[in-house]
Amino acid sequence: MDLYLVGYLMCMCMSSARVLGGYPIWWSLALGPQYSSLGSQPILCGSIPGLVPKQLRFCRNYIEIMPSVAEGVKLGIQECQHQFRGRRWNCTTINDNLAIFGPVLDKATRESAFVHAIASAGVAFAVTRSCAEGTSTMCGCDSHHKGPPGEGWKWGGCSEDAEFGVLVSREFADARENRPDARSAMNRHNNEAGRMTILENMHLRCKCHGLSGSCEVKTCWWAQPDFRLLGDYLKDKYDSASEMVVEKHRESRGWVETLRAKYAFFKHPTERDLVYYEGSPNFCEPNPETGSFGTRDRNCNVSSHGIEGCDLLCCGRGHNTRTEKRKEKCHCIFHWCCYVSCQECVRVYDVHTCK
Amino acid sequence: MAGAIIENMSTKKLVIVGLILLLFQAFSFMVGGLIAPSPTTAVHYLATKCVDSVKAHHQGKKWFMPWGPYQCDKIRDFDEAMAKRIEANNIVFAVHIPLPNKEMSPWFQFMLVILQFDIAFKMYNQIQEGAVATLDVGLAYRDSTLSKWTEMAHSVEKRKLNCNFTTTKTVENEGRYYECDLLPFMELGSVSHKYYLLNIRLPVSERKNLNVGIGEIKDIRLVGIHQNGGFTKVWFAMKTFLTPSILIIMIWYWRRITMMSRPPVLLEKVIFALGISMTFINIPVEWFSIGFDWTWMLLFGDIRQGVFYAMLLSFWIIFCGEHLMDQSERNRLSVYWKQVGPIVFGSFCLFIFDMCERGVQLTNPFYSIWASDVGTELAMAFIIVAGICACLYFLFLCFMVFQVFRNISGKRSSLPAMTKARRLHYEGLIFRFKFLMLVTLACAAMTVIFFIVSQVNEGHWHWGDYTVQVNSAFFTGIYGMWNLYVFALMFLYAPSHKRYGDEQSSAGTCYCGDQGGNSGEDIQLTTTITHVDGPTEVYKMMGKESQE
Repeated sequence: MDLYLVGYLMCMCMSSARVLGGYPIWWSLALGPQYSSLGSQPILCGSIPGLVPKQLRFCRNYIEIMPSVAEGVKLGIQECQHQFRGRRWNCTTINDNLAIFGPVLDKATRESAFVHAIASAGVAFAVTRSCAEGTSTMCGCDSHHKGPPGEGWKWGGCSEDAEFGVLVSREFADARENRPDARSAMNRHNNEAGRMTILENMHLRCKCHGLSGSCEVKTCWWAQPDFRLLGDYLKDKYDSASEMVVEKHRESRGWVETLRAKYAFFKHPTERDLVYYEGSPNFCEPNPETGSFGTRDRNCNVSSHGIEGCDLLCCGRGHNTRTEKRKEKCHCIFHWCCYVSCQECVRVYDVHTCK
Repeated sequence: MAGAIIENMSTKKLVIVGLILLLFQAFSFMVGGLIAPSPTTAVHYLATKCVDSVKAHHQGKKWFMPWGPYQCDKIRDFDEAMAKRIEANNIVFAVHIPLPNKEMSPWFQFMLVILQFDIAFKMYNQIQEGAVATLDVGLAYRDSTLSKWTEMAHSVEKRKLNCNFTTTKTVENEGRYYECDLLPFMELGSVSHKYYLLNIRLPVSERKNLNVGIGEIKDIRLVGIHQNGGFTKVWFAMKTFLTPSILIIMIWYWRRITMMSRPPVLLEKVIFALGISMTFINIPVEWFSIGFDWTWMLLFGDIRQGVFYAMLLSFWIIFCGEHLMDQSERNRLSVYWKQVGPIVFGSFCLFIFDMCERGVQLTNPFYSIWASDVGTELAMAFIIVAGICACLYFLFLCFMVFQVFRNISGKRSSLPAMTKARRLHYEGLIFRFKFLMLVTLACAAMTVIFFIVSQVNEGHWHWGDYTVQVNSAFFTGIYGMWNLYVFALMFLYAPSHKRYGDEQSSAGTCYCGDQGGNSGEDIQLTTTITHVDGPTEVYKMMGKESQE
């Protein structure tokens, strides 16, 4: 127990010294016992690891929003794992570590960029969703309107579609990215890119309700897209992420690092593009330093020539093939919820795993 | 020779009247654009998944609250339900309207709710062709956060799922959502309570084939639309201001007509009827909806609008007809049955349709004519018939306008050869017609342009610090415009007082020499409103002569 505590403290010290520059360990909120107790127990802000003072303050002030923040990170991680399911790096999370992705994201790689973007998009998405569910009283526009509470709503209504979620994500997720170094600048940029994805992909829905249902009177609103769509979009951005170089400037508050596009002849990254400034490892062999788990024993697709195909995924080491009999459910009758009646069938599969 | 006020007014006065009207017009646009908020608000609601665990409660009616005190046992998603072995029949989707810390108000006038399912694609649990979702819905209200919920409506509704999956149906795409059409869910004609609660169940029965093959529903989302309180207030203020203005001019107009010795002609009656229908729309009976729970107000509003539109369309036809300047006598409504018939029939169709939809909603707010196949066909039939009537009407109208212009150009050439009185009469006719034509076209063009702008635009423009609500400006501006139109019509087309006295003396002498050749045209003189005074003996004689 003592040893564990020491280890924990050391980890904390190290994280404040080095890992803090990398990525937010409060993401661990979305995994393990922390997450599963969300519904039943109130969140203790002090027990969330790795919050900077501003985040702690935010957490205490807006405690009702915190479950959706955790939900959002979880959503982001799940989407990351879906998008990267067939790739060498498949967004693996480690349950017994505060740095939930391991050391992979310590470097300012494309992968870091993607994870930051999808996590901040997830937070904005989940907060918007929970506002629609009514779980938080903070949502909506009454807070920015003058006059007695409720009057703004009665006079002009209140249809903030995703702005509040984006605001929360910006306040909370970006709170720790205020250092003048390059990594902070990169995280800020990528977080914002993730949130922009939501605003970009909102779709307009309209309803006509005039005389006899004519479009004389029409009401429109912006609806949030399916989160998978955001994942797809950000995955495209991952593939076309811009490589940057770090520049140092002398300013009144000291040295400030900024990012500049590495290749001037490429299109300059917009605020919707992901940016990175360090190359990714190839993730072929396990390497505790880079956080690569290697691709040994990963399932691969023998017929594909893409990244999920056995050639590329196994990094040329070749693959093992074995046949497996699996009992599966078949001829099922589904209800929309919670009930499936099935028969059991046995099927034979060829399973290919990397050497 | 005297006619309507518009002919006898000097250009200067006409310009002044026009400017005043324009000023009011600009004012009505500004009221909507700068003071009023946007006309309606859409609020998103995500249904909370509650578990109806206590069987005993199931017998007595129990309401499930999504949040706040006494909130229900929730589940986050259906995997959790699967793990806890909760059945579909025990899951209640609960939505509280409005969101926390807010309350509804009678100023919202109406509320309609739209339903949307989030259905995830699963290879082995796809939405079947023509799937229908059966919803067991209950609506309750209360007026304080502490009191008990009172049931307002309860119904079992069917909604056809119209979903398509845009990507390929492969295993990789499992978990993506179908794109489903928005479904009409509920419509309330008055919002007289502060809090509403919706409880929705999706009962499953394989035996009755209920809710089987509707895919994997992940969430139920609702969008609640209501009129903004601020807009309602501005709207009421406008109506309250406009009612007396139109009423006063109407009384003034009718007094002028009754002061004449002849009975009023058709066109005068039609203008008066237009004034009545405008007042009918204007009278702010909606004030009562603030105090009383009158759910039929929405339907009543539709009827009032319909009556006005029908009247306006009829007026245009009759106005054209009375200015045709050909050799036939009209001045009777029965002459116009061909043109007015489609209007009446089309309006009647829309009325029946409206009764079927909003009329039934008075008793069952969840009813939608579009939900059933027969209803959809019926509704489409009504709308198509109304559309055909509208087309027919516009063909007639265009044809009539064309005829008038043809006759005008015909008359133009023969004008110099006429006597002074006759020339003045025809010039008056032509001027009146062209003036109204111009004004009407301008009004119609404004309406269409603003309609398009309000459809295309996102709803508000920013000008520095000012936000202009384009949609509100559209409603108040167009409403004000048609009021001013009717106002101007009654004012300018009222019989003139000028040369009231010398008319009688001149009428007899002037037309004496004119008998014979052009006598047929003289009938025209009696049928249009040119004459301050009724047909003299001479006219009657002439009319008879020409008929012989």
